[in-house]
Amino acid sequence: MSVTTLSDELRLIVGRDHVLDGEVDRFGYSYDSSFLPLVPAPRPDVVVRPRTAEEVSRVMALAFAGGIPVTPRGAASGRTGGSVPLHGGISLALDRMTDILEVDEGNMMVTAEPGVRTMDLHDACAARGLFYPPDPASWKFSTIGGNVAENAGGMRAVKYGVTRDYVMGLQVVLADGTLLETGGKAIKNVTGYDLTGLFTGSEGTLGVITRVLLRLIPLPKARGVLRLLFADMDAGCALVHRMLKAGIVPSAAEIMDDVSLQAVARHRRMALPAGAGCCVIIEVDGEDAAELEAQCGRIRGVAEACGCLEFKVAQDKAESDELWAVRRGLSQAVAALAPNRLGEDISVPRDAFPEVVRRIGAIAKRFDLLIPVFGHAGDGNLHPSVLCDMADPAQAERVHRAVDAIFEAALAVGGTLSGEHGIGITKRPYLAQALGEAGVRTLQAVKAGLDPKGILNPGKIW
Amino acid sequence: MSGLLEEAKALVAGCDRCGTCLTVCPLFKVRDVERSSARGKNALARGLAEGGLEPGPEVRGAVEFCLLCRACTDACPNKVPTDEAMVRVRQHLTDRAGGPTVTYRLVGAALRSRAAVGLGALALGALRRLGLLRLLPSALVPKEFPRKAFLAAFAGPAALGGEAPAATPGAHARVAYFQGCGMKLMFPDAAEATLKLLGGLGEVSAPDNPCCGLPHLAHGMKGTFLELARENIALFEEADVVVTDCASCGGALKHLADHFKDDGAWRDRAAAFSAKVLDLTEFLVRAGYRSPSRGERTFTFHDPCHLARGQGIRRQPRQLLEAAGRFVDMREADTCCGGAGTFHMDHPGTAARILARKASSIEATGAEVVVTACPGCLIQLTRAAEASGGRFKAMHISQVI
Repeated sequence: MSVTTLSDELRLIVGRDHVLDGEVDRFGYSYDSSFLPLVPAPRPDVVVRPRTAEEVSRVMALAFAGGIPVTPRGAASGRTGGSVPLHGGISLALDRMTDILEVDEGNMMVTAEPGVRTMDLHDACAARGLFYPPDPASWKFSTIGGNVAENAGGMRAVKYGVTRDYVMGLQVVLADGTLLETGGKAIKNVTGYDLTGLFTGSEGTLGVITRVLLRLIPLPKARGVLRLLFADMDAGCALVHRMLKAGIVPSAAEIMDDVSLQAVARHRRMALPAGAGCCVIIEVDGEDAAELEAQCGRIRGVAEACGCLEFKVAQDKAESDELWAVRRGLSQAVAALAPNRLGEDISVPRDAFPEVVRRIGAIAKRFDLLIPVFGHAGDGNLHPSVLCDMADPAQAERVHRAVDAIFEAALAVGGTLSGEHGIGITKRPYLAQALGEAGVRTLQAVKAGLDPKGILNPGKIW
Repeated sequence: MSGLLEEAKALVAGCDRCGTCLTVCPLFKVRDVERSSARGKNALARGLAEGGLEPGPEVRGAVEFCLLCRACTDACPNKVPTDEAMVRVRQHLTDRAGGPTVTYRLVGAALRSRAAVGLGALALGALRRLGLLRLLPSALVPKEFPRKAFLAAFAGPAALGGEAPAATPGAHARVAYFQGCGMKLMFPDAAEATLKLLGGLGEVSAPDNPCCGLPHLAHGMKGTFLELARENIALFEEADVVVTDCASCGGALKHLADHFKDDGAWRDRAAAFSAKVLDLTEFLVRAGYRSPSRGERTFTFHDPCHLARGQGIRRQPRQLLEAAGRFVDMREADTCCGGAGTFHMDHPGTAARILARKASSIEATGAEVVVTACPGCLIQLTRAAEASGGRFKAMHISQVI
């Protein structure tokens, strides 16, 4: 089918304004937020922006008949190339599907279209006293469909888990256009394979998510934020470890090393006590102020035993916001240290956190690179940022080898390649190492069963 | 690769394509495709620089589809200056095409010539008196700008039931008024009100200055921009303070120094000039200006992009308005109104949709007057005021304090 015909056929389905096939638009839908080079751009032949599941189904049926690759796309804020149309074809943008269809207070569930921005979804539920906990750092702009497709994490994972833990059901359009409903509102549901779990985190390779049903919990009434400073990462990690072992589960426990901390202190003109080489930001939540106070008291006890240099409890909302801003400002502060930054995402068993941090330190030394580390200490997910100048070919080579070594280190301590960003394109080379041959073959069997022509997001995961 | 593309690429190097800008871009709100957003434009700049995109009419259309409002830069975690990058890409495309398009060349030439601006102002003044303004092509003067509307909207303090503010003695600095083309052509009464305010604070001169050059810079006529800048630097050399009541002129003049930093002959003169430029509201607050009386009118303020983000001036106009009447802040007060230089002429449909959002924010405050400090914004807000059917008026800040 020629491109013109394809565009015309698609216009009949979604309307004239929602099919883009000019040069600039095709370029605009060729990238996401990963560190893949922008040029040469893997352009789609055409961008389609359907409004309904029925339109998505008709687009898929057309693509299936013609054997045309389809790459689903939300806000393209992914970090591993998941929405990059590697093999051309159709970029299927779901960002016009933005309705929150139902907030079911009785069952404590919400039904939404995939293009709803995650923070908007959170806010709509919070307005009714209900809580959708996953809060990926991108939640201001990333979409819930993208979050489900990538099984996004976030800062609250230590207490509340990740996106998968809230997905109760999905509406999915399969490769040939068939509409499939999985799961439902029944809390206990063991009828057949767990298809909801299968499509969650499938990175757009098994089907197109057109509706999500999510479980909610009561919104915690009180929240408090603490900032703890330590001499080094080992002390900070020890605090997190001992705190969790003592049964204190904060809603977030974010850690940053000395380089990250210094960068953010400079960025925000913040004074630090001498010798502070590690910062832990903790959020606690509960029923009321008394409960928070009790938790803070217990954390203080553990912190003192770990050699805490400074223990600060935010006194009001402004102070809480300021402490969180330190964490949220990290990426920009760290990025400002060098022309390029390759932010990675690895996840390790919680007790291996200090060990992998030490290994990354050794890798930085070996390849003569600055690699600050920050991350979600509470759940073992960390983000080493390789700071570099990719315009220098010799350095670029060292950077690639350092990234390889980081992944190796993660696997060596029993961890995995990705905590929350998926495999996409950027982590493909490491997949077999992480899953084993049998693991990869099993995934491929599932893929072949659901997408026999291989038109859904080709080139991703393997 | 041209030096300009190289510069643009360096400016956007900090963009990691996260998408934060998509939530704040006024253009993305009315046309939500990638090319509208700052992320899309940053990628476009890099694509051009790296040879992944061929410059053509489509690319040109995309880089011109930007308000240069800096909302993206403000929200960006890495503060990527997309507007500065776009100005360079526009210049590159213009150089490559052998000059700007006919429209920009005409507008550019007209604004370049002091005589033409003067004649234009005279002609518009005459048309205004005769009520014939509606005969002009709407691309140059908004059609919603007939004499009646002009008088209703810009009658000055008299319309508010009070006299022009009495003078308060000020410092003895040699204050000079920089009059922008927009003020000269469209809002002579507001410009007069400004002069009255300045005159009330001390001696003020009003040299016959040429255009600040911002329209030329924005549309790939950097050579003309630099010529105009030199003329202005020389013209205002004797002044201690240069005050302007146009946010865009102020923003451009304050940044002139950046454009001469590698020019040995002009570097110091340009830096000295930029250092003495003040926005009217900034000057008034600094000079301790007090409103003669506090009226009962309710005001809201629309922050011009070139004032709020371009110069970091947000507090001063509010302070002045709070002293002059009741003040209510509006939702998204600093979101672009869609005027954006010539944007409202090039993309009237899009500009109208952006303005509709602004109008609903204004109406939600219940304010009788929306005040601003930029003639470009004032043109747009006057349109909104007309469409509101008398629910609010639009005025320049010099006319209400």
